[in-house]
Amino acid sequence: MKARIGLEIHVQLSEAGTKLFCNCDSEYRRYRPNENVCPVCLGLPGALPVPGKRPVELALAAALALNCEPPRALVFTRKHYFYPDLPKNYQITQFEKVGGSPVCTGGYLDYLSPDDWEWRRVRIRRINLEEDPGRTSYEGSILSSRYAYVDYNRSGVPLLEIVTEPDLKSPRDARVMVEYLLLTLEYLGATNPRLEGVFRVDANVSLEGGERVEIKNIGSTLDVERALRYEINRQRLVLERGGKVERETRHWDAERGVTKPLRYKEEEEEYLYFPDPDLPPVLITRDLLEAAREKVAEWSPRRVYEEILGLGVKREVAWSITSVPAAARTYLAGVKSGGDPGILARIVGVDLKGELREQGRDPYNPGNWPEPGKLAELSRLVAKGEYTYDAVKGLVLPKLAANPEAPLEELLPEKVEDLEPLVEEVLKEEEKAVKDYLGGKKKALNYLVGAVMRKARKRALDPRRARELLLKRLEAMKTGA
Amino acid sequence: MHRTPGIADLLYAYANGDMDPVEHAARVLEEIRRWEPKVNAFISLEDPELVLEAAEDAGKRWKRGEARPLEGILVGVKDNISTSFLPTTAASRMLDPYVPPYNATVVDRLLERGAIIHGKLNLDEFAMGSTGEFSAFGPTRNPWSLDRVPGGSSSGSGACLAYAGCDGALGSDTGGSVRLPAAYTATVGLKPTYGLVSRRGLIPYGNSLEQISPMARSVRDVALLLEAIAGWDPGDATSLRTEAPSLSGLKPAEPGEVRVCVPRGLPELAEEPVRKAFYSLLERLESEGASVGEVEMRGVERALPAYYTIALAEAASNLARYDGTLYPMRGESGEYWRYIAQARGRGFGFEVKKRILMGVYVLSEGYRDEYYVAATRLRRLVRDEVLRATRGCILATPASPVMPPRLGERIGDPLKLYAMDAYTVIANLAGVPALVQPAGFHEGLPIGVQFMAGRLGEPQLIRLGLLVEELTGLAEVVAG
Ligand SMILES: [Zn+2]
Repeated sequence: MKARIGLEIHVQLSEAGTKLFCNCDSEYRRYRPNENVCPVCLGLPGALPVPGKRPVELALAAALALNCEPPRALVFTRKHYFYPDLPKNYQITQFEKVGGSPVCTGGYLDYLSPDDWEWRRVRIRRINLEEDPGRTSYEGSILSSRYAYVDYNRSGVPLLEIVTEPDLKSPRDARVMVEYLLLTLEYLGATNPRLEGVFRVDANVSLEGGERVEIKNIGSTLDVERALRYEINRQRLVLERGGKVERETRHWDAERGVTKPLRYKEEEEEYLYFPDPDLPPVLITRDLLEAAREKVAEWSPRRVYEEILGLGVKREVAWSITSVPAAARTYLAGVKSGGDPGILARIVGVDLKGELREQGRDPYNPGNWPEPGKLAELSRLVAKGEYTYDAVKGLVLPKLAANPEAPLEELLPEKVEDLEPLVEEVLKEEEKAVKDYLGGKKKALNYLVGAVMRKARKRALDPRRARELLLKRLEAMKTGA
Repeated sequence: MHRTPGIADLLYAYANGDMDPVEHAARVLEEIRRWEPKVNAFISLEDPELVLEAAEDAGKRWKRGEARPLEGILVGVKDNISTSFLPTTAASRMLDPYVPPYNATVVDRLLERGAIIHGKLNLDEFAMGSTGEFSAFGPTRNPWSLDRVPGGSSSGSGACLAYAGCDGALGSDTGGSVRLPAAYTATVGLKPTYGLVSRRGLIPYGNSLEQISPMARSVRDVALLLEAIAGWDPGDATSLRTEAPSLSGLKPAEPGEVRVCVPRGLPELAEEPVRKAFYSLLERLESEGASVGEVEMRGVERALPAYYTIALAEAASNLARYDGTLYPMRGESGEYWRYIAQARGRGFGFEVKKRILMGVYVLSEGYRDEYYVAATRLRRLVRDEVLRATRGCILATPASPVMPPRLGERIGDPLKLYAMDAYTVIANLAGVPALVQPAGFHEGLPIGVQFMAGRLGEPQLIRLGLLVEELTGLAEVVAG
């Protein structure tokens, strides 16, 4: 049974610096309740919204990155509904009717599926730039709490509402699309997808022969997949039993992993839309448009991924680098300063990234990456054969991950210049292994190589050379010389 | 009727040392003490000690030669304009006593220029009314005749000027709210070009229509106040990026250069005494050498419904925020919807509730096109007609179709009430400036005349107003 899935994704422009219509902070998580507020985002009488420059620029860049035809002007519309944490009881958003003009009314996104390395396309129906409401919390449950506590720190944070056409084919497909979309917005410097609550997804899903069901309250990309998988199974069971899938709205319960009925959508809600008279249309000037175009062209996941592929890097590794913007910047800068593309890709995309994760250091934080020139130098040393990759991986990368500032000279292991004395020592100490080898147990050689390596301690030593030397000496012993 | 010095006179007298700001402030406070129990122009008054202290500081500045443009002038501010030092109630129980955490931009500008804000003035609740009777703090009475209304919604602004309880006043004008009071109290009100004065801090009624507007007892004084408060404000996205116009030094217009035209048919909507005063003033202008003609204007007779439809839609939206969460009036139910209903049921007066319902109706799905969208279309038509007509002349109409009504006379019948704004709403729909000043008196009651110019035509209006003042001799008059 084929599924048709459409998504409505709300993403905060957490990196905008300001809220949408005032100068409060777009990143509200670091404040105590009601500290990141002013008359505008509290909606106090007489306070007036003034569109912020950065939120508008970022929204426009997002629209262009999603291949939308930009409007001539942005019009903001009031959408009315009573809600405890909506301070004006209307939300300033956008609407395509009643004289409105959203930031996008049709576009598309090509996204990469890391499952089959195919590019897929989802059509974008509309993007609104709007303000986030505040939040309400309770002591214990909503029923037992004496008060509803309202915190307006989030109120007015710029939010993009991105609505897709029902082009997505499977729960996995939906998840992959959302991840790629978030990465695209991260590349624009618009959002940090890893912040708590920075995006929320509502999903529409219908199976052949059933009505469309909306799932609300999905808070992670993993849950996009889980919720849709659950819901599709639920609908399939209903249809297989000969039942009817009703048009309804359901709520995703992440803890229990189920969708639950929320309300029947019997009629359209009444939002009393009309253009906000406090906000004249924001003209999209040529300058504004050019700046946004440049931003989109110079730095996008697709551009970076294809550039890395072009350097001969395997797609798994190229994607691993691309999916972490700080890694991508480090890698491309490293190549530019003369690093070996293949070795550098392994360092950045596989082993240093893995080491950062291992040590609990966030690979998305650019401050946790060493300076690109340093990694380029390291890759050159390996390429020239001065060190083996394994020596770098085992001895240098863990230290670089722990302290990206550490100078390379201090990290590079001392090289064992004269191997022979070590080999002689081992041959003397490991009589049993030598006897075994000479007696025909070829495997004993590996043990002897290991013993030489151990003797080298933290100094760099090429195991191939140790093996060669050992073989030469052992063969000599065999022939009784 | 007698005369009392206005802002320009006071500044002159302070500068020459002929009068001391403390002496003047004491006299104003005395007028307030005498008149306020009868008139009810103020909702809250600053502590008299603080007013006198401020006047003393002003006196020192004058002596040191450091006086600012409005040093020592007492300005009353309509109580829908935010002040962080006095409550701002919009004459509603909903906001009694709300003290904003910030000053409106115009308030900061007045204070920076040395004005003393000595009280907050009465109004119709949330500026919704034309008589001043819809205040939760009781109606304001007209000092010229205490059984009559002073006009609204800036009722306190007109009334305090008419009894010399302030030197100047700020009102707000959404559809005539400073011009009706000016007409009924023999004072002057100027609604500026939309966007010339910042609305930041004005508790909104009809955002796309209204402007904070100066009132005073002479055209010259209104020009001084407007000059002080006008100019671009980055905190108001609808404010125009123009410099504050230079108005206070303007000379009266020469009659020979004045071209006035009357929209055909409009004055005939007015009562006879109003019409008579209007035409006799025009005749006087003509006899002095001004050109007076007529102009055909389509659609202006439908300005009133277009105005009310838009104003009420915006009002219903603006008033949604009063839900008992952030403002003084609360509910008590533990159930969300009941709680809101309680707070709004108690906090709003009857007229406000009525207007919210009408505003919601005209925006509702299925009715929006027929009402709200149609009204915005009509508005563009009216605007285009006004802009066309004002290219060649200054439009003249009576300020109000009726003489100042008695208390209770108009508020029972909404259609009669709303019809009082027939002349004034045109300028709000078109966004153009409009000046109302005294044209004459009939049986001791003031009658006003209205002039409208094109966008940013304030200098033209001021110059014509100064000429009219010379002809009528009606400046700086007060009741009693
Ligand atoms: Zn704020």
